[in-house]
Parts: sequence; structure tokens; C-alpha cells
Amino acid sequence: MSRGDWLGHLIPQSEREFALGDLEEAYGRGSRVRYSVELLRAALAIRLQLRRTTPALPLTVSHPDGPMTRLIQDLRYALRTLARSPGFTALALLTLTLGIGATTAIFSVVNPILFQPLPYPGGDRIMMLWEKDKEGAESNTGYQTFLDVQRMAASVEAAAAMSGWQPTIQSEGDSERLQGQRVTQDFFKVLGARPALGRDFSAAENVRGQHRVIILSHGLWQRRFGGDPSVIGKPVTLDGTEYTVVGVLAGSFESLLSPRSQLWAPLGYEPSLPWACRTCRHLRAVARTREGVTVEAASWELNLISGRIVAEHPTEYSTTGMFVVPLATQLTRGVRPALLAVLGAVGFVLLIACANVSSLLLGRAMQREGEFAIRGALGAGRGRVVRQLLTESVLLSVIGGALGVTLAWWGVKGLVALGPGTLPRLSALGIDWTVLGFTGGLSVVTGLLFGVVPALATARPDLFTALKPGGRHTGMRSRRRMRAVLVAGEVALALMLLVGAGLLLRSLDKLLAVNPGFDAQGLATMEVQTTGVAYAEEPRVREFFERALLAVRAVPGVESAGWTSMLPLGGNFDRYGVQIEGKLLSNPEDAPSADRFAVSPGYLESMRIPLIRGRVIGEPDGAKAPPVVLINETFAKLGWPSEDPLGKRVQMGGADQPWREIVGIVGDVRSEGLDLALPPQVYLPAVQWQFADASMVLAARTRGDPSGLIPAIQSAIRSVDARLPILQATTMEEVLSGTARPRRFVFVLFQVFAVVALLLAAAGIYGVLAGSVTERTREIGIRSALGASRGGLLKLVVRQGLLLTGAGMVVGIVGALLLSRFLDGLLFGVGGNDPRTFISVVLLLTAVAAVACWAPARRATRVSPLEALRSD
Amino acid sequence: MPLHLGEFEQLVLLALLRLDREGYGVTVQAELARHGSRQVSLGTVYKTLLRLESKGLVAARVGEPTPERGGRRKKHYAVTAAGRHALTRSLSALRRLSRGLDPSWEAP
Repeated sequence: MSRGDWLGHLIPQSEREFALGDLEEAYGRGSRVRYSVELLRAALAIRLQLRRTTPALPLTVSHPDGPMTRLIQDLRYALRTLARSPGFTALALLTLTLGIGATTAIFSVVNPILFQPLPYPGGDRIMMLWEKDKEGAESNTGYQTFLDVQRMAASVEAAAAMSGWQPTIQSEGDSERLQGQRVTQDFFKVLGARPALGRDFSAAENVRGQHRVIILSHGLWQRRFGGDPSVIGKPVTLDGTEYTVVGVLAGSFESLLSPRSQLWAPLGYEPSLPWACRTCRHLRAVARTREGVTVEAASWELNLISGRIVAEHPTEYSTTGMFVVPLATQLTRGVRPALLAVLGAVGFVLLIACANVSSLLLGRAMQREGEFAIRGALGAGRGRVVRQLLTESVLLSVIGGALGVTLAWWGVKGLVALGPGTLPRLSALGIDWTVLGFTGGLSVVTGLLFGVVPALATARPDLFTALKPGGRHTGMRSRRRMRAVLVAGEVALALMLLVGAGLLLRSLDKLLAVNPGFDAQGLATMEVQTTGVAYAEEPRVREFFERALLAVRAVPGVESAGWTSMLPLGGNFDRYGVQIEGKLLSNPEDAPSADRFAVSPGYLESMRIPLIRGRVIGEPDGAKAPPVVLINETFAKLGWPSEDPLGKRVQMGGADQPWREIVGIVGDVRSEGLDLALPPQVYLPAVQWQFADASMVLAARTRGDPSGLIPAIQSAIRSVDARLPILQATTMEEVLSGTARPRRFVFVLFQVFAVVALLLAAAGIYGVLAGSVTERTREIGIRSALGASRGGLLKLVVRQGLLLTGAGMVVGIVGALLLSRFLDGLLFGVGGNDPRTFISVVLLLTAVAAVACWAPARRATRVSPLEALRSD
Repeated sequence: MPLHLGEFEQLVLLALLRLDREGYGVTVQAELARHGSRQVSLGTVYKTLLRLESKGLVAARVGEPTPERGGRRKKHYAVTAAGRHALTRSLSALRRLSRGLDPSWEAP
């Protein structure tokens, strides 16, 4: 075929060669368009003619066509069958779309986070490197410790220490605070990344004085520098200091160690620096192990090294030990239980959807019995009928899958919006080929799963009975039993999901009922960062915060206000070891540690943190006044179990720091999380602390709605200095509810799934009972002719439905008790076997089942005995 | 049951008779154009040939491939006895009906 190779196939095979020959002979030398048009006309004419003249295909069962032709035939027939019963098809498709769509959406969120490898070459060798703290948990490390490990560890190919960095970029009067990291020179080597433009940091740039160079993220380069390649070598002003751009990362680089980072600079520490000490544990370390080194081997070696370091510097460590955690594990640890729980839940929804469609198919199979009997009588084998039925169910689920992907497309957007900000790799979420492949496979498996039971049940018709008029009930009982089992299974699964949702709801309630230790209502909060050359000297910083506080207090509607170095539940912690006078420890590292809140007068009052005893911090507690401190109740009990702490003295921040007198005890504040333990806390006047915190958080108590006053407060601060960035301006209630976000995320999903499951289960119960009433019309008619009362008939049907539900619920309760431990990590203040939740769920399910029984039961009472007896 | 021929069927049968043993898609189309003043597509020709074949008025045999056909064989059609009979009946009906009318209506 020289032309129209594929078009030629439109001509029926019997005529193809001759017609194509004619076309070639007549039009072969002419234009290609003419040839194609003639070919199409010929193909159409021949097709129409052959269809008219060929006798109808004989009703043979076996034919010589290949498997492909048979499949197409099956598909066509399946399409026609489905189109003939639009109600059934729509219901089945809706169910499958929900099931497959929800599963696809969840899978596409979970897949890159839990199952895909890290987007770094050899990512499985990238490890976080931790010191062990007194409790054996992971702890940051100090610079000198890091240097020792880097020098000694043979199992480590490259290692880097890193620290957070929030520089403010200044250009033409427009300042913006950026997120970045300061890192040692091998940082990108550890990750296996190279700048796409320019170069990596050099060893020389790790040295103090030469470390004013930066590497930009692709995003920052595009946004701030217009994607200009000549930016390499150009100066950029950060915090009033000039830096030189040496590199730009590729757009594909994902910064998993610090998700919002946009730029990187060398750490530039020297061992002699005060903040490079061994106890200055504020650095995170990441390492790439050598090929073939296991996690255990690396941890073992690090432990050994740690032992040597501690032996040399016994007063700088509280305990011996270091270990590595694979980065992939580390990143997903927080979200893994939640994501697995959600994945499991959606799997349940899919199973329920399958059971439901399966049950629908079984119901339909009874109606189609005649059809299969005729096919059987004409010689169709059982295999042939099963194949036809499976084709139908797979076709259904593939269409459902296609619709489901569309649903998931929207669903993923919602999930990302709803998701806790802590989800790693958010940028990688979406519908991609992996997800499409997964959905495709899922659809086929689903189709086979829900199709196989009905297909096998249908494909062995008893020809004689089935074809007899009025006798179309072969295998009815076994099929009805199968449907009942399926529906009971649905009820069981729905119950488990409902229990999950119920437990999570109770946890959420309990969590939000936790007293945070302050009064969040009516509080506005925002962080102000002093930055730039103007604030290079501490007195300037202190003066700014003093003046800004006066300006804020002058805003109409502001009752009181105060600064704190750290906001409770703000996601930070700032912890110092505290030495107690008279109980001095030879190793200061063994001292209890407390959260430090450096506050201005007015902070405790504005937050309404209750004063238990003593006094609060006031204006007289100035820089020159005797140093004072307030402690929380937890610290009071821990440090002075049998004494009065008032008047006692403590020291924090090192042996050169003054002893501070405890002048007051205040209530505990949940500063790290509503569900986390209470740490010892210390409040001291900010002006009495050894350095001025460059960034402070404002707490302002307002009359009325605090969110309305935020702009006025912001402009009051700007009236003191308009150039400083104000961050996270919000209400304290927002901050509070934000801490429940990860739990709410899981709860909302469980709730949605549980509602879908409940609806599907109700539809299943309804379907089975409606089918059974139809089948038993004659029986019901006879009963009613023999004098059965309306109530009796109602009871007959409702009892059947409730038996079904009850059986399902028993199985479900056992399952829920077994499975609820997987939710343990997500629960708060409620046990996995919380009886209140179980009882509520059982009541809810029973009520829904009763509603689902109602309509079929009513229909049973309306059966007229005469009609029923005439009906067959 | 006697078969009645459509007008185009008559033309195709006549073209096949004129072409003797050389009747196939392209030649029939050309013959109709040259002597029958009909510009028709190959599709139309096939439709009619297939219909005549199914009625048993023409018979097909597979011929030899030729280079100008891209090496494909021809499907030759020949008028069967039944075809000749049907054509004769048709044409004589035409002749009888037109007899005695204006001379210009008389069949040649």
C-alpha cells in the first residue's frame, strides 16, 4: 500500500485488495486528497452494500474470529447492555467514581510522601545526624562536635551542618524577609545537587570573613532577579551587608530539609566563636553515608566517636551517643501514621463501593436470568458468559475510574489546601503518570473484584427452570444470601470508618478543650524583626521595641500590650539549662532546662496568664535593677518539691550570668502544643537578658474583635520604623486552632469517608430489601391473603434488614477494636475502645438502617394479594 | 420471482457486456463516463456491482495483479445468464413502451 495505508483498512477485507487496486489505478497519480476522498466514498458504499446484502450473522456460539474481535464484540455488547438500563448504570458509576476518585486523590497525596524515593541521587544514603539527649531522643549538635564527627567518621562520605537564616533583602526601598539556610560547604554535595548556574560553595568560603556569598533558589532568582543569568557575581544587600551571588539552583531542586528556603550562604563559623561551642546545640547536621554502609553501622560508629568526644569534654555533654536517621524516614515520621490511616480509610470506602456494585450486579443478574438461559440454550459455554459479564463489570469500573480521576483532580487541590502545613513535598503532589497508572490498575482490579462473584453466580443457569414461564428464580436463594453477606460486609466496614471518625472527633474536641494557660480571646499578635545596619547596636533594638510598645498601647481599642521573645504555640522553642542556687551541678549539662520567655512589662497581663503567687514583671525591673525571674508551676514543683521557690535564685545562660531572684510563680502555658507535655518555663524582663532579641512577638489585648484592630496596630509599629518587616499578624485564636490542623485534616477526611460509607451501606441495605420484596411478592401476597397484618408484614421486612445490619455491626465492632490501635498516635484524651463512640456509632447505624428498611417494608404492606398471586 | 433492474444497474450491466472480459471497477467507471455520460465515483460502481453480484446477475473472478495497481489483483465481473436474461427483459420492456411514440423516443 503506497498511500492511505491505514485508511485502506476502512474497506471491508473481502473487497479491500481489489478496491485499493482500482483506486491506485484510477487516482494513484492524482492528488492525495482526491485519492483519500474516493477511498472513503468507496469504503462507505461497500460497507453499506455489504450490510444490506449479507444475511444476519448466524447465532453461532463459536466463531473463527480472534480474541481481539471477540473482546470488541463483548465490549460493544456490554456498552449496549449498560445503555439499556441507565438507572443501574448511573448508580453503579456514581458509586465507583466516588470510590475510585477518593482512592486516587488520597493515593496521589500519599504516594510522593511515603512511597517515592527522595528527589536526590542516592537519596537513601542521606541521613540526619543527631546527638542523643538525656531521654535518648534526637538533639541538635554544636559546631565543634560536628567538626569532630566530620573529621573522624569513616562511614560518612560528606556531612554538613546547617542553621536557619531569615535575612531581609533590601533593594530600592523595598525590603522583604526571606527564608534561608546557613550551611557548611559540603551541603549540596550531601544532597547530590549542583547549582544549575554558577558554582557551589568552596572550602575557602566556609572561613569567617569570606563567607558573604549566596546561592539562590530557582524561584527567588526568577521572582527577585527576573531570571537574569548575569546575576552571578553581582552584589546583593542582605541585613545591610553585601553578599555576592555565586550560584543558582535548578528549578527541579526541592529543598526538603528546609521547605521554604530560598537562599543559602556558608555558615562561616570558627571553633573559637562563642556560639560555636559544644553546648551551643543549635545546628542540625545531615550526612551522606558511604556506599554499602547500613544505618546501624553508621550509628554504631557515631556512638563510638561520641564516646571519645565525651571522654575528652565531660562537662559539655549530659550523655553519650549519636545516631543517624534516614532523611526519608525523618521527613515522613510526623505524617506517616496520619497518611497511612487515611489511606486505609479510603481503601475501606473503595471496598464498600465494590461490595455495593457487586450487590447491584447480583440483583440485576436475577433479572437477566432469561437472557443467559437463552444464550446457554444456544450453546454458549459458562466461560463465555463469565467473560461477557466480567467485560461488563471492568468496563463499568474503567469508566468509573476515568470519572474518578477527574474527581481526584479537584480533590487533590482541596487536600493540599486542607493539609497541615507540615506535609513534606507539597510541590510534588498532583495527578501524574504514576497516579494514572495506579488508577488504571485499580479500576481493572476493582472491576474484576466486584464482577467475579455475580458472574460466577449467574453463569450456571438451570435452563429448564429459567426458561419456564413464571419460574425465573434459579439460584435465587444462594444469590440472595451472597447479596446479604456483601451488604453485611459493607455495614461492618462503614461501622469501622464511623468509629474512626468518631474517635477523631472526640480527640479534636478534647484537644480544643485543653486550657492553653492563657486567654486567647481578644488577642492580636504579630512578630516584628529588627534588621539592618540601623539596628546593629543593641540599645537601638531595645529602644525600638520600647517606643513601638508605647505606640501600640496608644491605639484606640488596645487595652494592654506586651512583647515576648517567643509566642506560645508559635512553633518555636528557646530552651536554656537552669542552675539552682544551692543545688549546683558539676556538669551544667545535667541541669533542668526551661523555656525562656524574655518579656516586656504588660505581656503576662495581656495574655491573662494567671499569677499564682508573688508579683509580675513591672516597669521598675529595668536593666540596672536587681535581676528577677518568674517561673511556672511545673518548674516550681520540679525544682523545689518541698520548699517555697519565692526568694530562691537561679542562673541561666552560662556560669558568667547573674543569679536571678524568683519573684513570682505563674500558671503553666501550653507553649509547644496542646497535646504535648508541659516544660518548665521561665519569664524574665527582656531588658535584663544578656542580649537584645532581634525579633519580638507582640501580644495585644483588644476590646472587641482583635482582627479588626490588626491594621491599626501595624501602622502604629510602622510609625516608629516603617521599614521593618511585620510577620504573622493574626489573632491568638487563629494560632490556637492552627495547632489542631493536622488532626483536623485526618478527621475531615475520615468524616467524609465515613459519610460516603454510611450512604453506600444504606443504599446496599435498601437494594437488598427492595430486591427481596420484589422476589417475595407471591409469598407476601399469600401471607396477606391469609390475614397477616400490616404490622406483621412491616416487621417481616424490617427484621430482615436489621438482622443484616446487626450481623454486620458485630463484625464491624470486632474489626474496629482491632484496628483502632492504628489510630492511637492520632487520638488525644480518648482510648481506641471509647465506649461512648462505639455506642453512638451503633445507634447511628441502626437508625440509618431502619430508614433504609422503611421504603421496602412499606411496599410490602401495599402488595395486593390478588395481584401477587396473579403476577407469575 | 422475476428481478427488476434499476436504471443504473442496466447501465452497469451494459458496460460490463461492452467490456467483455475486461470489466472491473475502474474500467466500468471509465466506460460509464465515456459512453454513458455518467461521472460516478468508484464507490457508486462498487455498490451496484456488489448488489448485482448478490442477486446473481453478475459473477466475479479474481484476475492478475498489474504494476499500475500497486501489484494488486483485479476483481473481474462478467454478466451471468440470469443477468443477460434480466437485461433483455428490461430493455425489451423499454423498447415496447417507447414504440409508436415520437421517433426521437425510439430506442436505437
